[in-house]
Amino acid sequence: MRQADSALELHGLVVSYDGVAALSGIDYALAPGAWLGLIGANGAGKSTLLRALARLVAYQGTVRVTGAEVAHLSRRRLAQLVAFVPQAPELPREMRAIDYVALGRTPYLGYFAVERPADRHAGHELLARLGLAALAERPVGALSGGEVQRLVLARALAQEAPVLLLDEPTSALDLGRRVEALELVDQLRAERGLTVVAAMHDLTLAGQFATEVALLDHGRLARTGTPDAVLTDAELGHYFGASVRVLRDDDGDLVVVPRRQRGGPS
Amino acid sequence: MGPGPRQGDGAGPPPPVAVARPVLVALAVLVVVTVVATAIGPADLSLGTVVRVVADHVGLHLPGRVSAIDQAIVWQIRLPRVILGGLVGAMLALGGASYQGVFRNPLADPYLLGVAAGAGLGATIAIVSASRATYLLPIAAFAGGVVAVSLTYLVGVRASGYATSASIILAGVAVAAVFTALQTNIQQQHAADLQPVYSWILGSLSVATWSDVRLIVPYVAVSTVVLLGHRRLLDVLRVGEEEATSLGVDPRRVRLTVVAAATLGTAAAVSVSGLVGFVGIIVPHAVRLTTNASYRVVLPVSLISGASFLILADLGARMLDAPAEIPLGVVTAFIGGPFFIFVLRSRRSRQGTL
Amino acid sequence: MRTLRVALATAVATVGLALAPSVGGAATHAAWPVTVRAANGAVTITQRPTRIMSLSATATEMLYAIGAGSQVTAVDKYSNYPPGTPRTSLNGYALSVEAVARYRPDLIIVAYDPPSLAAQLATLHIPVIYDPAAPSLAVAYHQYLGLGAATGHLAGARAEVARLRARVAAIVRGAPHVPVGTTYYYELDPTYYSVTSATFMGQLLSLLGLRSIADAGGTHVNGGYPQLTAEFILQANPSIILLADHGCCQATPSSVAARPGWSALSAVAARRIYILPDSIASRWGPRITILLQAVATDLRRAFG
Repeated sequence: MRQADSALELHGLVVSYDGVAALSGIDYALAPGAWLGLIGANGAGKSTLLRALARLVAYQGTVRVTGAEVAHLSRRRLAQLVAFVPQAPELPREMRAIDYVALGRTPYLGYFAVERPADRHAGHELLARLGLAALAERPVGALSGGEVQRLVLARALAQEAPVLLLDEPTSALDLGRRVEALELVDQLRAERGLTVVAAMHDLTLAGQFATEVALLDHGRLARTGTPDAVLTDAELGHYFGASVRVLRDDDGDLVVVPRRQRGGPS
Repeated sequence: MGPGPRQGDGAGPPPPVAVARPVLVALAVLVVVTVVATAIGPADLSLGTVVRVVADHVGLHLPGRVSAIDQAIVWQIRLPRVILGGLVGAMLALGGASYQGVFRNPLADPYLLGVAAGAGLGATIAIVSASRATYLLPIAAFAGGVVAVSLTYLVGVRASGYATSASIILAGVAVAAVFTALQTNIQQQHAADLQPVYSWILGSLSVATWSDVRLIVPYVAVSTVVLLGHRRLLDVLRVGEEEATSLGVDPRRVRLTVVAAATLGTAAAVSVSGLVGFVGIIVPHAVRLTTNASYRVVLPVSLISGASFLILADLGARMLDAPAEIPLGVVTAFIGGPFFIFVLRSRRSRQGTL
Repeated sequence: MRTLRVALATAVATVGLALAPSVGGAATHAAWPVTVRAANGAVTITQRPTRIMSLSATATEMLYAIGAGSQVTAVDKYSNYPPGTPRTSLNGYALSVEAVARYRPDLIIVAYDPPSLAAQLATLHIPVIYDPAAPSLAVAYHQYLGLGAATGHLAGARAEVARLRARVAAIVRGAPHVPVGTTYYYELDPTYYSVTSATFMGQLLSLLGLRSIADAGGTHVNGGYPQLTAEFILQANPSIILLADHGCCQATPSSVAARPGWSALSAVAARRIYILPDSIASRWGPRITILLQAVATDLRRAFG
């Protein structure tokens, strides 16, 4: 494993809440530009893993981002390397969209400083890139669900961090918007060489967007590999405790569908 | 990344949150209020007399003579009282706005963590231990306030292992209860001193002097610079502690710095004014309702409007029952209570002001 | 607002007078039981009290003055006069009925009547006389007579009242004639609480021809004890300043003169600032003559 080449590297990562292990012995290395889809049942540790990578929970073991040990970085420096989009962001409803995006510039500003014109320009360009330029002066509370999703993404991108962490990024969106949002992330990943780690509930979307998949089970890495290797009938059935079938659509993309259990007690 | 396809390009980003306009309006109001409060008082002086005295002291000699007593009334009694009221009001309002930001709690104000209870205990001890109480009182009140808030912080961190907003606020409630109980007990043991203790708790600027002004200016100045410096960070905290952390901000460090600065300033203010209530809550809320929720606006405008508010309230304390005084705390609470209901009602229709 | 206060204060004063003790003329000799009227209504004492508890510093002074001192077995912590009173740590403003009962009193006198205290003591069958701060000399004399009747010293009480009347009259006769319109500022505490001419103290000072500057706002504002604004005091420019806050708060003529702006006052320029013994000034008992004499002496120095 060549350390310097990895965007993200975990060694013996352990997280416990009140003595109960939520994650144990995670080892993983992720190359720059990759998209790691974290899958697993509810409570398997997907969110905990993301939060450990952003140092939002205490952990044991080692996490390196672009070779730097996360535990030794200042908050500010870490925020320049890792951007985190939580599952349910807290929205200051009265803040204007442009000001919200500009919050992403925080890691580059001094303690008492306010944004420079360059920061505001960067924020505005991001809004334009995500199709929100016309809404720049609207309060956050007036935006639709899809617009908010893109806005939060824009704030994370304003951090200009090489690693982007997404926690269930599309759970709040309807079907059409989900694909749209993930397409956008994928485009930005390509444009900017971002490394993406996303906890993904929707296995079909995980199969279609992730370049590699890690299946978490009770706080351990159960299976890792390409979507083709991990997303199989047998593996998913075993770890999700339900019958699923993995299909291929006409374009050869993975489709995961659940199947009703027959023959149970009626 | 090239320019996007959507409208708005080429126009550049929209202007930053408008700060200058509300600040200028608030300043204009402050100037008017200050002039009015300096012109009016229980001593029925003509406007010409007041102008002559003030002009005289800024090196401008206008024709006409003013008696020594009228000189003293304007320059030694009325003006320091107006200025002190402005400083205390500005500090309480700025402290309140900062606390509300850092605890993300619309009811937070500097009294929440025990400044009031601690200062009350300190003042009571100074008053009942009698000798030279008048000199000791501000120092004792200041020390009491700082000790109480430090204790709140220690207890809050000890209790939960780390300083969350909730654990600190709960510790503040507990510390305030203990300090208030001690204060009440001492007060009951020294019934003869009930009146001065009670007066102090209700707050008053009745004995304001230039030396009081000089006493608190350094604290208010340092506190103001530090708190205004946090105007952007308080906006960052509006996305919650966890997201603020992921943006590179340490909420605990921000909270500790803001609490320390606000406590120093507030303790200094109440040490000369007594426990004037409600300013720290109603002024910032009024500012939010009329301007913008961004702390870049809320902090400076609260600072200026707090000064105007307390100068006006003190004018009421001086004039409504002249020549007798009405306790300042009574005037502010009398305005504050109804206003608070108004704020709560309008919040219900606008949900989530912070 | 002011009208309401005046109305209230007037009502209180009227009630106070109505409730002042009135003693039946027949009760010259101790014929038990005795009924006296105090601020808490009619109080019946079944036999000559021998274990009197006074929780009022003024009542304590009155009891000793009328010759009932030997029947007093416990007084509160503020009853520091005359010397040798049986002082306890009891605080008349924060009482527990049990702590009172421990002394087994057969008569209790209070100047402060917290809700239900008298009712609770009544369940112990201990009579309670409530003699609050007297609004006038007349009420103070009534309180004397009530205490006299209740303790079997009515003759002593009458003699003491007569002595006080004569002494007050003598002091007033001997006092210098002050110029018409002589005013005073009476300082209760360093935050400028003062008295109007309608208060007990104000009435005493009126006897000497003095008028309070605080009267300008109505004599009954805040029960006659308004907090004045500094600029009002300066503008009123009182002829003399009387300090009743030396004992509590160390106010002195020089500390007053040193207050910013106060040097412009004519009382400061003419050094007409006088310290009053504040421990006496807050009481309406036998030592009012000492206070009155002190002021009369000050006036002689000022105008004589």
